[in-house]
Amino acid sequence: MTPRIIAANLVVRLRSFSREKSAMFFTVAFPVILVLVFGAIFTKPEHMNFELPVQDLDQSDASAKLVKGLASQGVFETIPVPADADAIQYTRDHKINLLLIIPKGFEDMQLRRLEEWDDDASVTLTYIYDPSSTSLKTKLQFLNAMAAAANQEISGTSPFITLKEQSILAKKYRFIEFFVPGIIAMAVMTSSLSGALNTNAELRQKGILRKLATTPITRTDWLLSNVLYQIVLAVISTVSILLVSYAVFDVRLEINAWLPVYVVLEVFAFVGIGMLLTPIAREAESAAAAGNAFLFPMMFLSGTFFPVEMMPGFLQKFARILPLYYLNEGLRASMIFVDNTTALRCAAITAAVAGVVFVAGALVTRWDQGA
Amino acid sequence: MTHSDDNAITVEGLTKHYGDLRAVNDVSFTVRRGEVFAFLGPNGAGKTTTVEIIETIRTPTSGRVNVLGMDVTKQKRDIVPRIGVLPQGFSSYDRITVRESILYYRRLFGCSTTDVDALIDLTNLGDKRDVQFNKLSGGLKQRLGIAIALVNDPEVVFLDEPTTGLDPHARRAVWDVLLGLKRKGKTVFLTTHYMEEAELLADTVAIISKGKLVAMGSPEDLIERNANYMCLTLRSAEAGVLDTVRRLGFEPVRDDRNNIRVRVKQTDDVEAILSGVKGAGLALPGMDVRKPNLEEVFLGLTGEVLHESAPVSGATP
Ligand SMILES: Nc1ncnc2c1ncn2[C@@H]1O[C@H](COP(=O)(O)OP(=O)(O)O)[C@@H](O)[C@H]1O
Ligand SMILES: [Mg+2]
Repeated sequence: MTPRIIAANLVVRLRSFSREKSAMFFTVAFPVILVLVFGAIFTKPEHMNFELPVQDLDQSDASAKLVKGLASQGVFETIPVPADADAIQYTRDHKINLLLIIPKGFEDMQLRRLEEWDDDASVTLTYIYDPSSTSLKTKLQFLNAMAAAANQEISGTSPFITLKEQSILAKKYRFIEFFVPGIIAMAVMTSSLSGALNTNAELRQKGILRKLATTPITRTDWLLSNVLYQIVLAVISTVSILLVSYAVFDVRLEINAWLPVYVVLEVFAFVGIGMLLTPIAREAESAAAAGNAFLFPMMFLSGTFFPVEMMPGFLQKFARILPLYYLNEGLRASMIFVDNTTALRCAAITAAVAGVVFVAGALVTRWDQGA
Repeated sequence: MTHSDDNAITVEGLTKHYGDLRAVNDVSFTVRRGEVFAFLGPNGAGKTTTVEIIETIRTPTSGRVNVLGMDVTKQKRDIVPRIGVLPQGFSSYDRITVRESILYYRRLFGCSTTDVDALIDLTNLGDKRDVQFNKLSGGLKQRLGIAIALVNDPEVVFLDEPTTGLDPHARRAVWDVLLGLKRKGKTVFLTTHYMEEAELLADTVAIISKGKLVAMGSPEDLIERNANYMCLTLRSAEAGVLDTVRRLGFEPVRDDRNNIRVRVKQTDDVEAILSGVKGAGLALPGMDVRKPNLEEVFLGLTGEVLHESAPVSGATP
């Protein structure tokens, strides 16, 4: 191993990279665009509340308070409906599927109940609905729950059963936070695999490897400089993805020592797989095709874009033999759930795979096919 | 100094098989220090196989090959820093400039004292030093390859078909560089299928055909020994000339430029042919007589042509 030679190689490769616009695009712009596009598509609905038109016929302080209370839960965005409008006609005209009416005398009734202890005093809130609407059921559940809570508060007794939510996941996360680790794993995989596969095939085809064979560079120097080069590229993509995710989507992710560990392991694993595929794909073009044939199924089946749990059972089993699956699981364990046990387990599996394929890949890599 | 110290390369009984194919078949020769040695042969003759075995990047099936007194199969690490190689169809990193490429290979060899600008001057690449490899023409690429082959100030330089595929002008420019190397007294092992290249540059020419060495010697020797005749060319001759010359007892051939070529032993033959043609009342726009070249030597020895687009003898002034 000669550091001088490794450094010389690394410099030449990085220089070539920085002067190659398409390489820059696939390493930096492509993953960033994916984050932006998918983030924009899937982040919106989670912030959106249901619209709830409310016709307040009472126009009192108490009714205004009720309307405010409905909105404050974060589920509904109340929209005032003019008191003189015909509710049913209004619902039809505005293509609304649910409209709530607060009757006249709401405040009076409330006062009678609260201050005069009149148990007979009650109000009926009417809702007008379109039974064909799909979101109606959910909205009604919210309304009923709110009514129940209000009734209980007024009756003054503390509730016997309360429900406390506890997700099986330690932390709530948004889609974008699920997506970003997947995109990091995908970007590093793509650049390492195609880097090892295409550049080696191209350098061989052009005879540069043959020229190198007549210089003092050894196979170890060559492999190490390739891995270092791929690590630099992986860091560039990872940092770009994270910067954009933080800047645009304000993601909450845990950046800890697992991230560099995973990036390095992933580079070794996919450079190794690339080296193993190189002899199969002699020509540079067929190398690219072979790389894609390998990459795309891997991406979709390993939980890059959606959780593996969404797939049928046999595909879930299949996912467990794909190296990318463990990278996705591990990166999410460390970046979203801060689950060190899972992160360690996935890192160990990835390290084992990386070790095997890298050594095997190094063994099949030759300078000259003529020998 | 012992005798073997005068030899940069010694090859004895070299054989290389690719499966059933005998690409190189029991080849032996020596290359003296300081000489330009040319391996002349058509495509597929086994030139690259031989030269790459000497460069230590292919392994021989059998035979003994020594470079600078070292065995190619056992002392690769010691040989590599002392030789320089221009591989067949040389290519470098597309986006790297001439100067950066030379610096890169210099760093691989760890020869920080090598004067890069002197190499650029030697190969006449001065105004291209900051041009990226993929923007260079074929001839410039080859010249860069030669500069790179010299970064470690090698004792032996291997050039595998340095001018194949170049236009005549670019070929001249490469030859100028190679003549510069020759003047500096470098030991050069050259492979080519251009006989002019071998004739112009080589001290010794080895002719290889189908994996076998068929002749070896200085260009003059080879011609003297194997082509003991003169070439008479009758330019753009009429149809009747061929028959007339044949009737005089010679074996004329018509080439694709309508010239008629005849091998003659002595000047009397030339006179006989000329007067015969005149006597038959046929016009003769032009003629020349010249000594045969390596092209004819090769044809005579192997019955093959060196390359498809070989210049037709007599067509060049
Ligand atoms: N790596 C190889 N595997 C199989 N056959 C080869 C290989 N390299 C060369 N050959 C064959 O060996 C013969 C000699 O080739 P080569 O040494 O390249 O000749 P030249 O350089 O004179 O054109 C050719 O028939 C060629 O097809
Ligand atoms: Mg060749």
